[in-house]
Amino acid sequence: MILGIDIGGTHTDAVCVKNNVIVATAKVITGADLVDSISGVVRGLGVEHGLLKRVVLSTTLSTNAIIEKKYTATGMIVSAGPGIDPRNYFLTDDFHLIDGAIDHRGREYIPVRKDQVLEVADNLKKNGVDGVGVVSKFCVRNPAHEKKIHSLIIDNFKYVSMGHRMSGTLNFPRRLHTTYFNTAVMPIQERFVYSVKQALAELGIKTSILFLKADGGTYLSSAADRLPVETILSGPAASMMGAVALRKNTHTTLVLDIGGTTTDIGILIDGVPVLEPKGISVGGLKTLVRGLKMLSVGAGGDSHVFITNGNLCVGPHRHGPPAAMGGTQPTPMDALRVLGEFEQGDLNRSRESIAGLARELGQDSKDVASAIVTKMVDTIQKACDGFIGEVNSNPVYTIHEMLHPDVVRPEEIMVIGGPAKNLQSYIEKAFGMKCVVPEHSEVANALGAALARTTAQITLLADTQLKKLLCPELDIDMELPGRYTLNDLISFGTDALRKNTTYLGLTDEIEIDVVEQQSFNMVKGFSTTGKNMRVKLQSRPGIISLWGNK
Amino acid sequence: MIQAKRKTGLIFFPAYDWEITPTHPERQERLLYTQDQVLEEGLLDIEGIHEFKAGLASDEDVNRVHFCVPDVASRITHSHSISAGGCIEAARLVLEGNVERAFALVRPPGHHAMRVVHGARGFCNINIEAIMVEWVRKNYSHIKKIAIVDTDCHHGDGSQDIFWHDPNVLYISIHQDGRTLYPGTGFPDEFGGPGALGMTVNVPLPPRTSDRGFLYTVENLILPVLDEFKPDLVINSAGQDNHYSDPITHMAFTAGGYARLNELLAPDLCVLEGGYSIESALPYINTGIILALAGVDYSYVREPDLDPDQIREDPKVLDYIQELCDALLDAWRRRDEVVSSPNEFAERQRSIYYDTDGISETQNETLRFCPDCPGAFKIDTQASSGYRVLCVHIPRGACDTCRRQGHDWFDSANGRFYAAYLQDMDKDGYQINIL
Repeated sequence: MILGIDIGGTHTDAVCVKNNVIVATAKVITGADLVDSISGVVRGLGVEHGLLKRVVLSTTLSTNAIIEKKYTATGMIVSAGPGIDPRNYFLTDDFHLIDGAIDHRGREYIPVRKDQVLEVADNLKKNGVDGVGVVSKFCVRNPAHEKKIHSLIIDNFKYVSMGHRMSGTLNFPRRLHTTYFNTAVMPIQERFVYSVKQALAELGIKTSILFLKADGGTYLSSAADRLPVETILSGPAASMMGAVALRKNTHTTLVLDIGGTTTDIGILIDGVPVLEPKGISVGGLKTLVRGLKMLSVGAGGDSHVFITNGNLCVGPHRHGPPAAMGGTQPTPMDALRVLGEFEQGDLNRSRESIAGLARELGQDSKDVASAIVTKMVDTIQKACDGFIGEVNSNPVYTIHEMLHPDVVRPEEIMVIGGPAKNLQSYIEKAFGMKCVVPEHSEVANALGAALARTTAQITLLADTQLKKLLCPELDIDMELPGRYTLNDLISFGTDALRKNTTYLGLTDEIEIDVVEQQSFNMVKGFSTTGKNMRVKLQSRPGIISLWGNK
Repeated sequence: MIQAKRKTGLIFFPAYDWEITPTHPERQERLLYTQDQVLEEGLLDIEGIHEFKAGLASDEDVNRVHFCVPDVASRITHSHSISAGGCIEAARLVLEGNVERAFALVRPPGHHAMRVVHGARGFCNINIEAIMVEWVRKNYSHIKKIAIVDTDCHHGDGSQDIFWHDPNVLYISIHQDGRTLYPGTGFPDEFGGPGALGMTVNVPLPPRTSDRGFLYTVENLILPVLDEFKPDLVINSAGQDNHYSDPITHMAFTAGGYARLNELLAPDLCVLEGGYSIESALPYINTGIILALAGVDYSYVREPDLDPDQIREDPKVLDYIQELCDALLDAWRRRDEVVSSPNEFAERQRSIYYDTDGISETQNETLRFCPDCPGAFKIDTQASSGYRVLCVHIPRGACDTCRRQGHDWFDSANGRFYAAYLQDMDKDGYQINIL
């Protein structure tokens, strides 16, 4: 029996799955203490806790800490060398620039100075900083500078993270922010994991805990301690994975998670969610965190409905619950209530709120209610068009891809979230496409968390001219044997991934994919001097086999 | 956070699956390290810098510029259509107002491709800037005058050839002196056809010219000429082989210098041309150009191995450049005083060598030197690859006489030719008559 818990801003949902059946669900209001919410929702399930073999948590903990800047002072030691002035990306006075430069091939041309590192570390220590992020430009081509700085300061700071361990992807500004946020949320994650383990133990749950990541995969808390930044924005990912679990086919499916305030839009191709190619943003800053490509639009069941210059407007803000539920303002849910699509709450309050708008517009209440729903669905549809346009506009770099574009065209829509059922027919009509509302769609988020497979991605680079093999995420930096081919590199990476499952927080159930593979001849003068090979491998996001291939 | 002062579009098409041969300078690896640098610097995350997808140029787009012998399909690969299509997309972004400036960072290059194409010269099959220029003039009638400033180290003899008779396209090339480098042309006396005198300006610079020499030329010759010409669109044909580390040239320009050049020139569009120091120069030059276009501080961009004292030019080189620029500016300002062809028909004979494909071509060109329009012309061309063809061009704004003349030429082509071709710019028409 496994347990998935999604701690959202408003509600905490839990789902208990045995074999391929949902055996219990529970919902509580998310309180100030997330650990209490977890205990509460687990108690609400009424299942025998001792039987739980897997517990997965999706939390807003690190997202909120970052957005609300609720973390302790965190230092950064940065070496960059020439290029854009890195100080453009410094967020606080605890960011320090030191000497050191590495080029795109990983060759050092300005060394790191020990005395300078120690001086900076000393200053940070004096300022009461406990955690330090270490980042150098092109560290993913040569991590030597980061490792040297790390070794010089590790004894003096409790939390240290290095840029090259975050991601093997090139992007220095994103690496700075990712490493900073990761270091900043490490103590928060550590305390949280400790409290959750204690609380679950008190309930008789002793199994290992996994966390949901932004890419819709999970990892064991051992890896989450090291890389807590990957848990940001796992909420929308939970819903998308729920959609993956609930789908009945492998069509290209547009997924709409309609909530109170917003609708989250995502897309599944062959049952796999599409990723944001460069990394996701949090707190207005771009990171290297691998995450699902999603768009949030300000149109939900509780969106504020009002009139400006004689025009009906829906959203983008929420001003409390629907009138039917005791709110003061009309909402799309009230419109649905008036139209008879929705049965809960006080019909009279809904009628009154919509009648107010109808008087102002000089129209019939039913027509206005219908117009509200149409307006909301239109807003969502426009956002979807933009979203699909963006998915299809990714630049390509080879003639093959240019001539054979993979154009994404949704074949059906899956709607999950509270008002899914009530809006189904309206969405079907507006999009002119089959619209599915799966069973259990109201707990898709917790179900997605419960069932998501463990994932990780690694980056490999082999440079046969410099005789170098690198895998930043696994901290592999070794000399390359004489002859080496792209296939050698792929097998090496596959082995390395399997050997490091604990470090990466993976369970045994993984399927490895080659995400990218490139090989270039390197030429000096007019003769080939070596090969430059690049590979990205991932353990594929998906649903654990226990759920079956439904 | 960094904010671009000017919204800038980037079309990046490195053609990772195309090469002339595996060890040729024009190979798959060429833009790999540029991409690494651009990604690591996070340039595409800067607010106001956006990457866009390349497009595909059609055969019509190619035929608007070239006479491909025997036809377009025989002379180009998909990579060339995408490279030219990338330039067209860049122009579209600027002219539709999506961005203020755009940079087509594409390969293969094009500025050695002339109007008639029997094969590849100087790694170029079709002229990607020229295809962009004609696409712009066809689609945006308010763009009348266009300036191309070619800062590739090699003389852009293809671009010069295509716009030689065009009074509305000013082609300025700064390059390493043709006595010391391929293609061996681009001297000050190459000054434009008889109906377009001064619309070609060549500035051959001595080997080992460095930042001061280049920037002197821009500030004291190119900018004053552009000020007077008042183009509606400025294009930098941004070859990057003037760099001190380039393996096939002998200049001493730097990444910082290229950035400053683009800051001064303020082009609407940049198109990558040559540049084969793919590890030591291109990553830094392209970073510098993108930042300069976007109006973002580039002062910290420099090559890791840069030693300005080592590459500074001799004062004598600067004196020479100063005299050259003075003379050229003077000649340009007095371009209308030059008496051109007194006859109705101006002819020129040329031998052209296609070094990349090893083809020799002889051309006899006849221009109707016309007081009322740029003048129709025909090219009788024969190549060692076997084709002899007649190419007729009726220019934009052609008068009735020139239009009739063009059709007469086309209609009277006989069996000596494999085919006759007719380019009619005002009608955007292209005809082939296989004889």
